[in-house]
Amino acid sequence: MIEAAGLTKRYGEKTAVDGVTFTVHPGKVTGFLGPNGAGKSTTMRMIVGLDRPTAGTVTVNGRPYAKHRRPLAEVGALLDAKAVHTGRTAYNHLLAMAATAGISRHRVDEVIELTGLQAVARKRVGGFSLGMGQRLGIAAALLGDPRTLILDEPVNGLDPEGVVWVRNLAKYLASEGRTVFLSSHLMSEVALTADHVIVIGRGRIIADAPVQDVVDGASRRLVRVRSPQATDLAELLTRDGATVTSGGPGLLEITGPDAASVGELAAASRIVLHELTPVASTLEEAYMALTADSVEYQSEDLATADQAAAERAAEQELVAEGDHR
Amino acid sequence: MSATVTAPGGRPVSSRTAERVSVRPVTFVRVLRSEWIKFWTLRSTWWTLGATVVLMVGLALLFAMAISAIPADDTAAQEGMAAGGVVGPTIVTLGSEFAQLVVAVLGALVVTGEFSTGMIRSTFAAIPGRISALWAKLVVLLAVTAVVSAVGVALAYVATAGMLDDLGLPVDFGDADQVRALVGAVLYLMAVAAFSLGVGALLRHTAASIGVLMAVFFVLPIVFQIIVAASGADWAVDVNAYLPSVAGEQIMSGGPTQEGRLEPWTGFSVLAGYTAALLAAAAVSLKTRDA
Repeated sequence: MIEAAGLTKRYGEKTAVDGVTFTVHPGKVTGFLGPNGAGKSTTMRMIVGLDRPTAGTVTVNGRPYAKHRRPLAEVGALLDAKAVHTGRTAYNHLLAMAATAGISRHRVDEVIELTGLQAVARKRVGGFSLGMGQRLGIAAALLGDPRTLILDEPVNGLDPEGVVWVRNLAKYLASEGRTVFLSSHLMSEVALTADHVIVIGRGRIIADAPVQDVVDGASRRLVRVRSPQATDLAELLTRDGATVTSGGPGLLEITGPDAASVGELAAASRIVLHELTPVASTLEEAYMALTADSVEYQSEDLATADQAAAERAAEQELVAEGDHR
Repeated sequence: MSATVTAPGGRPVSSRTAERVSVRPVTFVRVLRSEWIKFWTLRSTWWTLGATVVLMVGLALLFAMAISAIPADDTAAQEGMAAGGVVGPTIVTLGSEFAQLVVAVLGALVVTGEFSTGMIRSTFAAIPGRISALWAKLVVLLAVTAVVSAVGVALAYVATAGMLDDLGLPVDFGDADQVRALVGAVLYLMAVAAFSLGVGALLRHTAASIGVLMAVFFVLPIVFQIIVAASGADWAVDVNAYLPSVAGEQIMSGGPTQEGRLEPWTGFSVLAGYTAALLAAAAVSLKTRDA
């Protein structure tokens, strides 16, 4: 259980986290979703006491993180895959971490095996790929068999197999009654993994609800209609309060009424329809709609935007592939 | 989704039969054990410690050979050495002048290496009290520096003993000042290590810390030596005497205290005082600044 109340972090003039209040409950995976720079990592660092809040409080399992006598048994945190000395081997890193809590070598071997690091455990971390670094971070987070897991962008840099593995691991840990708090800037990732989602943008909580509710709440109902009498239909619909945009000659995109209402209205007015399609909004669209006003770093460059879109598409493909396994 | 979760290696996350992982409270002894592991599992530790011993032995040997090469009838040189208070231990401990720079790098790296790599976040997440991590680093660093510099002094003595006898400058273990000078080399290097840990913890940056330490232990003494020699100004003499390295190195003086220098223990106390102040500031900084 993680409870934040009025949590705020300012760096000089800039407010990174702006009075956020939320609770992360045990027994389910809670996604922490937001664009880059929205304040996810800062919030997570404040939870484990690495950054001191400017205002507000945050507790883990009932008390501030620093007050726990056995912190590794309370919280396992993957905050940054690079929070490891590059000159040390993975095994020695875990051994040193374990020593602070009297955790056995046996457990160190166990988490190495668990995260599939056997082959590289005796190699220095400096040579690790991003994916191996993530696995090591997850291994360190699991060391103390913690009641609460905080994972900042855990699938970053993982191969498809690793992505599916992290997803299943998060769900499995939650099913054991643990609190799992996992951040991502990808809605698709959160939708596949989380039961509940907290959306953050520009340091403020935008939504805090079950994943399905967020999707439903943010979806705009869009109906696409093709008709030779498009102008007449548009006029009728507008009079009824719908928002109508033209998507080309004879093509309308209608927001407001659902497909059935549009069809009935057309029939009543003896307007011929060539197409009547309800367009379901995707999770990605819901997320974009939610965070549209709160994106810190708007991409100006079309190429960048296209690339991001391509990355998302690839991610979704990858996700679909994973599910078929 | 599947009910059992397996690692990429095929093993289950936690089997139903496995006992709970035993996690004990964070204590200073456990933090110390962790820092001990961290210290010895980096290559930089091994090469800095190796370099310390090599410099201590090598320079003592070079100095002894250089003095042996002075002709016995060069009375000016002989008198100069006597006036400079050169005794056996002076030659044996000479290498610490250079070894201190390596020890300073080691002391700084122990903490700046964690900041530069991000390791410090793992450390502080495991040890949320933070301060005990600094003290544990200090204990490990002091213990290892003590042993390694003692080994360095001992080997330097063994390597030069024959030449010192020939020069008529044998180390006199019955002379309290000479013994203090030998032990002083160990104490001095320990103080330098602790001082450097403090600087590293305050600056959190490897290059900046090493730059400051080189200035303090290498550049400043030379600059002030020149100013004092050129001007003889009182203020310059006073400042020079209280420089961390100049004051601290007095603990290694084997003869009577030269003019414009502090007494051996007074000088060492000054260095120890700077070190304590730095470490106190470092503790406050670690506790209050974001990691």
